[in-house]
Amino acid sequence: MNPHSTGRTAPRLSGKVALVTGAARGLGRATAVAFAREDADLMLVDIAADLPGVPYPLGSESQLAHTAGLCREAGAAVLTARADVRDLAAVEAVVKETTARFGRLDVLVNNAGIAAPSGRPAHEIEEHEWQLMLDVDLSGAWRAIRAAGALMVARGSGSIINIASTAGLVGYRHFAGYVAAKHGLIGLTKAVALDYAPRGVRVNAVCPGSVRDDPRVEGRMLAEIARSLDVPVAEHEQTFVRSQPMNALVEPGDVADAALWLASDESRRVTGTVVTVDGGYSAH
Amino acid sequence: MTCHALAAPLPPSADPAPALEEAVRHWWPELPDRWPVLWRDAVPARCAEHRLRAELHRPVGPSGPAFRAVLLRYEDGGAHLVLVAHHAVLAPAALQDIGHVLLGGRPATDLAPPLGTAALPEGPRNPRIDWATGDERAGDRTGVVTVPVPAGAAAAALVLARYENRDPADELPMYAMVLGDTGPPDPTFSHQLPCQSAPFPMTLAPRGATVELHHQLRHIDQESADAFARHLARAHSQLGRRPLAEIELLPREEAELMLASPETAPTPARIDAAFDEAGCRPTAAARIDTASGDRAGRRPTSPARIDAAFDEADCRPTAAARIDAAFDEADCRPTAAARIDTASGDQAGRRPTAPARIDTAFDDQAGRRPTAPALVHDGTTTTYGELRDRAERLAAGLRTAGVRPGDRVGICLERSADLVVSMLAVLKAGAAYVPMDPAHPEERLDRTARDADVRLVVRDTAPYLGATRLDAPCGGTPQDPAYVIHTSGSTGRPKGVVVPHTNVLALLDATREDLGFCAEDTWTLFHSGAFDFSVWEIWGALLTGARLVIVDHWVARSPAEFHDLLVRESVTVLSQTPSAFGQLRAVDRTAKERLPVRLVVLGGEALDTRPLLDWFDRYPEDRCRLVNMYGITETTVHATATTVTRREALAASRSVGRPLPGWSVSVRDERGHVLPPGAVGEIWVGGAGLALGYLGRPELTAERFVTDPYGGGRRYRSGDLGRLRADGSLEHLGRIDSQVKVRGFRIELDEIRAVLLEDPAVTAAAVVLSGDAFEDAAGVRIDAYVVIDGGDTGGVRRRAARLLPDHMLPTTVTGLPALPLTPNGKLDRTRLPAPAAGASVPTAAPVGGLVAVLTEVWEEILGVPVRPDDNFFELGGNSLYAIRLGTALRARGLPPLPLRLLYTTPTVRALSDVLEHA
Repeated sequence: MNPHSTGRTAPRLSGKVALVTGAARGLGRATAVAFAREDADLMLVDIAADLPGVPYPLGSESQLAHTAGLCREAGAAVLTARADVRDLAAVEAVVKETTARFGRLDVLVNNAGIAAPSGRPAHEIEEHEWQLMLDVDLSGAWRAIRAAGALMVARGSGSIINIASTAGLVGYRHFAGYVAAKHGLIGLTKAVALDYAPRGVRVNAVCPGSVRDDPRVEGRMLAEIARSLDVPVAEHEQTFVRSQPMNALVEPGDVADAALWLASDESRRVTGTVVTVDGGYSAH
Repeated sequence: MTCHALAAPLPPSADPAPALEEAVRHWWPELPDRWPVLWRDAVPARCAEHRLRAELHRPVGPSGPAFRAVLLRYEDGGAHLVLVAHHAVLAPAALQDIGHVLLGGRPATDLAPPLGTAALPEGPRNPRIDWATGDERAGDRTGVVTVPVPAGAAAAALVLARYENRDPADELPMYAMVLGDTGPPDPTFSHQLPCQSAPFPMTLAPRGATVELHHQLRHIDQESADAFARHLARAHSQLGRRPLAEIELLPREEAELMLASPETAPTPARIDAAFDEAGCRPTAAARIDTASGDRAGRRPTSPARIDAAFDEADCRPTAAARIDAAFDEADCRPTAAARIDTASGDQAGRRPTAPARIDTAFDDQAGRRPTAPALVHDGTTTTYGELRDRAERLAAGLRTAGVRPGDRVGICLERSADLVVSMLAVLKAGAAYVPMDPAHPEERLDRTARDADVRLVVRDTAPYLGATRLDAPCGGTPQDPAYVIHTSGSTGRPKGVVVPHTNVLALLDATREDLGFCAEDTWTLFHSGAFDFSVWEIWGALLTGARLVIVDHWVARSPAEFHDLLVRESVTVLSQTPSAFGQLRAVDRTAKERLPVRLVVLGGEALDTRPLLDWFDRYPEDRCRLVNMYGITETTVHATATTVTRREALAASRSVGRPLPGWSVSVRDERGHVLPPGAVGEIWVGGAGLALGYLGRPELTAERFVTDPYGGGRRYRSGDLGRLRADGSLEHLGRIDSQVKVRGFRIELDEIRAVLLEDPAVTAAAVVLSGDAFEDAAGVRIDAYVVIDGGDTGGVRRRAARLLPDHMLPTTVTGLPALPLTPNGKLDRTRLPAPAAGASVPTAAPVGGLVAVLTEVWEEILGVPVRPDDNFFELGGNSLYAIRLGTALRARGLPPLPLRLLYTTPTVRALSDVLEHA
């Protein structure tokens, strides 16, 4: 007990450095800002460009800069980097840059991912589409773990958080690629958790359900899924809300709070697990 | 890693990067891939203290380089260079030396390589220390004990000797480390941490007559540190042969304060002192002290920044009451209050050039680079030399025609090279130009010419162009009037604003450095000479040696053609009203080629920042900067500026930024008393941009250009409503005279407009009052016009009804495809269609064929019934509707409609004839 405690709750990530992929907007932005508010310093990574084959615009440079600005407002030291998680060398360079600047890396949030091309039965998916989905959503997380894991193991501490999905727990019609990738990501989480458990590094997954497209974080996941299924956004949102036991969509902040807990020392004995934030959807 | 750190305050314009690069090149030529870089980070002012401390205490990592340089640039202008180094490879003195090199104090070649190749190690250097032990959350906490040393004792020797012969029975921490004496503090550096000992548990730093003991709380608890301090004291006492004073372990907070120099890291008490210097009353200062402790990192170097302490969040009732009391009393002491509440442009690091005339400043450019392109119009380029020669020939001709220094000369020309030549010629002849827009009705032009009492009006340059050039300079002064621009008066009679040469030069001095103007820029002349945005475009380009592309009347009205022009001519600096920029963005969204612009200056009307998100996706902030400027003709085009980013767009920011350097802004009540930040009042503008007054209107001039009751000086009462925000920036809230009375209620129409704009579906809105209270009080009503993106007007009104009292709720809400604009791009109230009635008026019987289609489209766009011989423009059509019309016709598979055709054949019947025979 610190005798000079001021009575305030200490920031939960004080002194920690976190790397967040897919940080330009959406859950990446929400998570980054939540971490910054708890006094973490940040390396924010995004592809910041569109990807041929993905039928909707990905995060932009301006959006990435905006996330960085929000984190700076919260008092964080921030680095940003443009990198594609399909490029191992780029991901390794980002990790190296992080340690050169901050001297350490405590938290890795594998959030970068794509939801489309989707909306078709399995036999109608082209091979390159299948490859693209797995390459980004599953192999992308492995690449970042490969780049950052050694550092964390050497230090004997660290928390890796894979942002999966309820699609990692149950199936969704016409989303074979996405569901396979997210199930794979949960498998990856469990296996690496066992690899690293004796070395003090924790690996967990967060499974968000249907997250509302909050304009503050410029999320568009729900809208893009609706578009993949060729239904109007409002109708799709209504359908989703009705399928939620809690009768409400998950907010980006709900997911960020789960990631925050996994990043902090409050979860120091938690590894290899899945925190589901879906308003009860997958409890059926 | 045992590290130590330095911080040096930097002037805003300093950049240590080149010095660092040169130094590392010199010191470690063989290791280019491991050269330390300068890390830069933008820091919000209120986080300054926190971030500085975090960087000072951030150890260099075991897997990174052993030396780190970070530049913290605070958003309010200051900066700190923070250097952190591994103690084992870079001694404190060596780090100081590096600091001096990076600050430009001494050359890199002066120093031997301060570290060997071991300076940049790759692996951990002290494997005995486990980073993961202890409480992570206590990471950077460091305790400090200062142990006084007996007079005459060599502190370092004492500590070292005692430490090396430590008594094993004491069971004191094993890993304490003794640092060398760093000598007296170097005033260059605001912060010097002898050692931050992370993860090394304890370090001892002899410093003059004391020894500092730094220990890390996660490794060594308070009691152990205390015991060790006592142990040291005993040791010293024995060696120094006399007892030491009682040793006290400082609480962490105090220790941290001790590490911060009062010079650059003001504690709340420091802010207090600064307020005393500024003449503020201590009660207000005391309040700020407690209300904004977390703001202590902000250095109060300017009145604007002191304002920041009055953040809304801090104004809890008691604080607010105290501040109010302070300001009430401040009325008795006007000079002190004025210093606090007038936001002034930042003058730091800017050297205004000597007052000069526009024509001589132009001649400087022309003399330096006579063959550089000055004007481009319709593919024809005029060089600076040619422009000067033509202007001097025309000036001679004007002289011959009777123009004398001090005269005013009307210029009634379309945008063209001749227009710019004429303006320059008039100035060279020693006269002031009076721009007259040829698009204005003849009667209005006559009235303008009469009002300005012009010697003559140039409608064509040919009659005046002689063979000879003006033989001698006119001999005028920078204070002479340069131009007279007429603005509409509330009474309906235009008033001529007289602006001297020196104001235009001051405007460029204020913006040149910040906006990075240079001779490689290409600007556009898009606006009418009668709109003072053109003053900015013309002289901004020509007095910085840039190239000015003149945009034809028709091209300016066709966003697609304008877009092509911007790409073709590689325009880098674009000035637009927000409305015109909206049209350009619409075209740009689908354009193949991106614009080469590096800077967009928005001005002339209030900016709705929300629709700009798409723009930032296509043009990230580091590719093109978007600057919104607020100004008035009477203050020489612009008075404040703010850079708009995604942040402002997401926040729907209404800030127009801080005053330009040399300009000042304050917000006043009806008595001219300064209002505190947050209060809404009239915007008063002072400083370098103030016009000389209204031509021939001494009473009006005296009413609007007043002597400031607070310490004198001229101020312009803008008639605009605004409030100063806590950070010294200004929010523009519309016109004072939009305040109206309806059945006894006092109503701000702009408030209603603001409510409509808050509706996510509404992208633009206008609110007008109609009816005459004298004729029939019940007939007075409020009509709203909105541009909606999805939804219907019923929904807009229902939402407004939830936010507005009955007497403020618009009677009608009419949907429009776009708001009608004046030629200057501002809302044209006279062209708003009649409000949408409950039921639509039956339309005339269809005539058939193309006429029927055109009628249908016109009605859809104009929102009124259309007959075959109705004039498009008399029905409320304008250039924006014309663009919509083109789009709608294309959508129906009809041939493209050239804009000019609509202007020459503005009825359905005539137009369908032409289109059918085309």
